[in-house]
Amino acid sequence: MDFAFTKEQLMFKQEVIRFAEKEIVPRVREHDLKEEFDFESFRKLGEFGILGLHFPEDLGGSGADVITTVLASEALGEAGVDGGLTLSLGAHTFLCADTIYRHGTDEQRKKYVPKLASGEWIGCMGLTEPNAGSDVASLKARAEKKGDAYVLNGNKMFITNGPIADVAVVYAKTNPELKHAGISAFIIEKGTPGFSAGPNLIKMGVRTSQTSELIMNDCVIPAQNLLGEEGEGFNMSMQTVEWDRSALLAPFVGAAQYMLKRCATYANEREQFGRPIGKFQAVKHKLANIRIFVEAARTLVYRTAWCKDQGRALNHLEAAVAKLFLGDWSLVPTNDGVVLHGGYGYCHEYDMERIFRDGRLGPIGGGTSDIQKMIISKLM
Amino acid sequence: MNYDFSERETAFFSQIDELMQSLAEAGDSDRGDTGAVGHRLRHALKRLAETPYLKLGLQAQEGLDGPSLMRAMEIVSSLAPSLFLSVEMSARVFGRILSTWGNAEQKERWLAPLLKGEIVGALALSEDSLNVENEPLKTKAKAEGDAVVINGRKQYVVNGPVADWIAVAGAIEDKNAIFLIEKNAAGLRLGDRIATVGYEGAAICGLSLENCRIRADRVVGRFEPKEGLGKIRLWENQVIVGASLGLMKAAFESAKDYAKSHESGAKPVIAYQEVGFKLAEMLTLLQTSQLLACRAAWTAEHMPEEADSLTLCAKVFCTEASEDVAGKALQILAGAGYVSGNAAERAYRCAKYGQIAGTSTEIARVRIGDCALEKP
Ligand SMILES: Cc1cc2nc3c(=O)[nH]c(=O)nc-3n(C[C@H](O)[C@H](O)[C@H](O)COP(=O)(O)OP(=O)(O)OC[C@H]3O[C@@H](n4cnc5c(N)ncnc54)[C@H](O)[C@@H]3O)c2cc1C
Ligand SMILES: Cc1cc2nc3c(=O)[nH]c(=O)nc-3n(C[C@H](O)[C@H](O)[C@H](O)COP(=O)(O)OP(=O)(O)OC[C@H]3O[C@@H](n4cnc5c(N)ncnc54)[C@H](O)[C@@H]3O)c2cc1C
Repeated sequence: MDFAFTKEQLMFKQEVIRFAEKEIVPRVREHDLKEEFDFESFRKLGEFGILGLHFPEDLGGSGADVITTVLASEALGEAGVDGGLTLSLGAHTFLCADTIYRHGTDEQRKKYVPKLASGEWIGCMGLTEPNAGSDVASLKARAEKKGDAYVLNGNKMFITNGPIADVAVVYAKTNPELKHAGISAFIIEKGTPGFSAGPNLIKMGVRTSQTSELIMNDCVIPAQNLLGEEGEGFNMSMQTVEWDRSALLAPFVGAAQYMLKRCATYANEREQFGRPIGKFQAVKHKLANIRIFVEAARTLVYRTAWCKDQGRALNHLEAAVAKLFLGDWSLVPTNDGVVLHGGYGYCHEYDMERIFRDGRLGPIGGGTSDIQKMIISKLM
Repeated sequence: MNYDFSERETAFFSQIDELMQSLAEAGDSDRGDTGAVGHRLRHALKRLAETPYLKLGLQAQEGLDGPSLMRAMEIVSSLAPSLFLSVEMSARVFGRILSTWGNAEQKERWLAPLLKGEIVGALALSEDSLNVENEPLKTKAKAEGDAVVINGRKQYVVNGPVADWIAVAGAIEDKNAIFLIEKNAAGLRLGDRIATVGYEGAAICGLSLENCRIRADRVVGRFEPKEGLGKIRLWENQVIVGASLGLMKAAFESAKDYAKSHESGAKPVIAYQEVGFKLAEMLTLLQTSQLLACRAAWTAEHMPEEADSLTLCAKVFCTEASEDVAGKALQILAGAGYVSGNAAERAYRCAKYGQIAGTSTEIARVRIGDCALEKP
């Protein structure tokens, strides 16, 4: 075994931290309070190259390996970027753009990937429905082929970037009689007649990401907007799981690391009973809990990423272990970060309550903790 | 970066697994009077000496390193926890004291036979009122001509009743040192063997030293108290991490096998989410512990400046996880688990030790906290 990163990987991570601290973090609190997407930061992420890191250069990317990509996501969290922006990035790059890149025709790739990699366009992915979340295969959205067009009807729910996306990858049934095998994936552009987004949903955390329903009401798209073949949609959505369990989890690890740093600084400065609170064992206990969580969690995320770099098929059991751990085991340490700051921890200005709120998405988004347990217990 | 074990390592693990299976089958390694415990330990050490196991961490072994040792420790601990603890306190902890601080003669005299499995060693560090490492040791030695005279008391010495040599930590002038004391030395008094909640197949006792006189060439190293004892604690903590992995593995596997084969309401109990999901949590803890433990072991070899705090993180996490996993395993095995004599019950009883011994969980958290405060 070898747990070392290359020098380049480590240098790049530091570069991303510096960039984010300077260009993005100063606007985080304001946008989180207003529950607004930070278009300016997203554009800067595009300019810096983070939105398309792993895509090939001729499609506007940098050809980075998965570990580097994951480290960049972690670095954003570690710099203090909120979970809303990193979730938007994740949905945009890994759930939307990567699906087009992997399964699209040359034409589709050339049309969408460079625009998404640069941040000129924003992407989203619609799989979940109001009545089909964990039980994805029961989704009801329908795509019917009529001549050289598809007509789509149905609703998607909780779609990250839904209200602001220029392009969506949407899953719908081309054969409603089949379960998984009846699902196909389509590209829908903003402005397509019959396609609209609901208002931004007010959420507990990840507030700067915009989340909404997507509505397809006799939405007609050209037949060439089908991704891959009919019936391949479910497998495509499963392939995004590799990113979901690495690059989308990494910002949570980074955020916990950021929390640790802030907590330590605060514990050194804040005095009660005539001494810094860091002198009290109960405060050290909380710092230790956060550190232990960070160390345990990051190794799981890197393992998923490393396996993907080796070109291995996703090990669903290991991926579910990573997702479950990050979701369920983050509750105590992120709560500790809030409580360590006392009343200030409960206030927005200190970032702790935001990290706690953002982290609560962990056991829900991208497959709940129960679903991870179901996968693990079936595969063990 | 590489998250896989090599072919060389996998072959080594199979070798250890096979050997331990045969040793575990040969007799109940978790019971027995002191004579039987000593006999079993010597036999196991001889057999393990035929493999690279005893040498790991003490002498370079081609293609094997810290993470290989961690996985091998997991295997040994999962099959025979008491034997594991006894072997490790002798080979790894006593052995590392010699390989790290011993001079050439001392290595020749004690390390060579130790690696051949010919002698049994023990460490006597813990004292009744001074268990926090940064407090001075009460066991004191005074130089008298070419001899050293030692006085003090030690508690909970694994292998104490069966060891040929005991490494006693004590203070000499303003430094600390290790004193190698032979089993029949005048002035050494071994207490009765202690009965414990778990690890009952290990022989443990307290000891006292009253004007125990040893030759000066049996003093190993002189080091700054913090540095020397810190190193010993690191080795102990690594052993305890390995022990926890083994306990977790044994408890998890037995609960999993049972849940797949034992039926209730005409289906295997794993089919019920209350059971299946518990197993999922257990496996999550096991896999997370394994990775963290291996990373800590790797870090100790490649980035020693970061090893202390990361090892403490691994120790707290793995030892707490092992108690949790063993408890859940018993819950799944239910009545069959509560009956004495199965792997989950054994793991449950042994698990608590991990949080107490070495750097205790409380002190470990304080240290990890201190480390965060030092460089926020
Ligand atoms: C902020 C946010 C952003 C999101 N972004 C996207 C996105 O961009 N694209 C997208 O497609 N989706 C997105 N989602 C949807 C997300 O993936 C789903 O919310 C999630 O999969 C759970 O589905 P559900 O909400 O319908 O819950 P349900 O499936 O209705 O689950 C409700 C409860 O029942 C439990 N449960 C369900 N089935 C079982 C079972 N078999 N055994 C045991 N327990 C069970 C669940 O664990 C949960 O606790 C987002 C969600 C949120 C909150
Ligand atoms: C089965 C067994 C085998 C052992 N084998 C060996 C051996 O081979 N060699 C050897 O030298 N030792 C051995 N030990 C000793 C072991 O290392 C000690 O038990 C351990 O260091 C704890 O010391 P203690 O039991 O005296 O507890 P104490 O130090 O008295 O602690 C009591 C409680 O208070 C907490 N505490 C103490 N000080 C602090 C503090 N400053 N801050 C916060 N909390 C604190 C502790 O964490 C613990 O919860 C063994 C112990 C056992 C049980």
